[in-house]
Amino acid sequence: MKAPLQSRQQIPRQRILERIRAATLDCAQDPAMREEAYAALPRAYTRHGQLSAEARLKLMIERLREYDAEVVETTPEALPDAIAAQLAASDKHSFLAPPGTPSEWMVTAAWKISGLEWTIDHGLATAEIEQSEGVVTAASCGIADSGTIVLHHSASEGRRVLSLLPDWHLIILRASQVVETLPEYFARFQQPSGLVTWISGPSATADIEMTRIKGVHGPRFLNVILVRDKS
Amino acid sequence: MNHPATHPVMDPRLAPTFPKAALPVLRNTQLRKNVEHATDVIQTKRNRLVAEKADWQELRTAASALRAHVLENLATYLEQFEERCTAAGGTVHWASDAAEARAIILDILRQEQASEVIKIKTMTSAEIQLNPFLEANGVSAFETDLAEIILQLGGEEPSHIVVPALHVNRSQVREIFARRMGLKNLSDDPKELTNAARTYLRQKFLAIPTAISGANFLIAETGSVAVVESEGNGRMCLTLPRTMITLAGIEKVLPRFQDLEVMLQLLARSATGERMNPYTSLWTGVTAGDGPQSFHVVLLDNERSSILAKAKQRQTLKCIRCAACMNACPVYRQTGGHAYGSVYPGPIGAILTPQLMQMKFAQSLPYASSLCGACYEVCPVKINIPDVLLELRAQVVNQERGRAARYFDPMYVGLRVANLLFAKAWLFHVAQRLGRIGLGLYTRKDGWIHSLPGIGAKWTQTRDLRGLPDESFHEWWAKRGSQPGKEGK
Ligand code: SF4
Repeated sequence: MKAPLQSRQQIPRQRILERIRAATLDCAQDPAMREEAYAALPRAYTRHGQLSAEARLKLMIERLREYDAEVVETTPEALPDAIAAQLAASDKHSFLAPPGTPSEWMVTAAWKISGLEWTIDHGLATAEIEQSEGVVTAASCGIADSGTIVLHHSASEGRRVLSLLPDWHLIILRASQVVETLPEYFARFQQPSGLVTWISGPSATADIEMTRIKGVHGPRFLNVILVRDKS
Repeated sequence: MNHPATHPVMDPRLAPTFPKAALPVLRNTQLRKNVEHATDVIQTKRNRLVAEKADWQELRTAASALRAHVLENLATYLEQFEERCTAAGGTVHWASDAAEARAIILDILRQEQASEVIKIKTMTSAEIQLNPFLEANGVSAFETDLAEIILQLGGEEPSHIVVPALHVNRSQVREIFARRMGLKNLSDDPKELTNAARTYLRQKFLAIPTAISGANFLIAETGSVAVVESEGNGRMCLTLPRTMITLAGIEKVLPRFQDLEVMLQLLARSATGERMNPYTSLWTGVTAGDGPQSFHVVLLDNERSSILAKAKQRQTLKCIRCAACMNACPVYRQTGGHAYGSVYPGPIGAILTPQLMQMKFAQSLPYASSLCGACYEVCPVKINIPDVLLELRAQVVNQERGRAARYFDPMYVGLRVANLLFAKAWLFHVAQRLGRIGLGLYTRKDGWIHSLPGIGAKWTQTRDLRGLPDESFHEWWAKRGSQPGKEGK
């Protein structure tokens, strides 16, 4: 079945590319010229933030709170306890964690608060993930200017579905991961990951009379622990 | 005929002209209130966030230049995208027009033996009228964006490209959901309505293994696709199904991953007045163990390459569909989207729709503007919409030149006569005198004309006309001329 579909595709492909080429006789003649034209594009916008490290973190927290995300700060030493406190306050009972969750988060007895049920994602079925109420993941970056948290879905950040189906998402973000501007994020991650999710607050809609409603399909609760590590 | 409940026609081939289609809307005060409220809210938020961004103009300049560069080198960047996307496990298809795109998508769905499909809001799929086509071929398409559900369940048409159901208010949503979801006791609280949609869709997300999306950006460098959304329905569709089909216009490509640093800063602020939308997802072909294991991209031309060929019109393709131009447009804010007879309304629709129709339909749209320039001012990629509107108007006039009927058009006859009168002073003076006598019959004591017969009524239906003065400037000057002149000459 697949072959005829592919070969039939060759005709429109050539036709479209030919039409585009005929329409763009002003295009760069060779790759070097194109590179040059690209490099010469105006980029006078702000790339680097002006804030002090402290002000940057303050802004990040402020923005997250504007999105109704809950934020607490802690130190690396106190992290397990901070996680435990969040879990206890969540009113949820079944939690997920990605396979690459750092062991120092896990070893502590604090995670084993009575009545809480833990599952590590070693290829869980969607239905199992759907049954869980909360998830704890790491992140790759925080962007203070817009209060955005970026997931690259590494082993400690989890598959995309993991941070999507549970209603409650706790993100552990380190202070050294927070940048001020979006261009600073892109400067830090020149080699992009194949999967990226930029999260700015819990899911929301304003489709009915422009009234902002928190929580449509993604997690309705976004909690963030900001860990004051040494940057 | 002009009943408010007239169902809007959204196919530009069949839609009435803009002034005709606008009439029922202008009489529908509820709809106008809804549109005004929504556009006001977004505009206010947008303006506040744009004002706080000190480098807004620099971002616009960068985005405009970047998008122009992409269009100049479109073939190269598309081939690059195709190569990288394919290397990452995706399959890239090319569609010259709407029919080809629909056939490709149906083919994929047949291979998957799919009888149901979930969809993320995509204006491009509305452009190719995909849903009715799938329905006719035995595939049920379920929209998952809240606004799209409202439209789909209510049998409504989109009236905006970012908040397509902005013309529907909460009690109308309540009525639609109560009827179609069988929820008799539903209240009109937006929170409760949103929850109803969440429950309604949850099972569909988990059960239907095939999804269709649009794309906000294609990244040539990596072969990735980016989708910008708010609700998380996008993430559901991108993550849970087995098979994913992305339909994207050929103009959607960006050279590099890093270029998103410009576009993402502009898009959310312009579209919804947020610093960043809740979710933006980027994926690259197929990732083992994460998300759909079969991924198709359908690249759609559908007249875009013709637009590309025209120097002044090419900029139309820079558009990133943020809808800022319609929120700012004094015409759109009065009429809402349905009057445009196209899924692309507002200023961008007024230039895009007739071009997509090869200027054979929707010729009234370039006139649906006062040329005030508000759209150009807010456009994050600096599309000079008024300029393109004028260019298209010139083309419409050119089309009409050859038609015999135009000799009977009162506008044409009027302008011809004016041409003659203005050419000779004595003729003009005679006309003035005759006009004064003629119009004198209709001029009231207050010096105003309140109603005229014949085609003159078109003017006086909606406004008064000042009567001609008893004496023209020339006559006054001639009288005064009997006194000695005071100028130097
Ligand atoms: S024309 Fe400009 S303002 Fe209008 S939708 Fe496109 S990008 Fe936005």
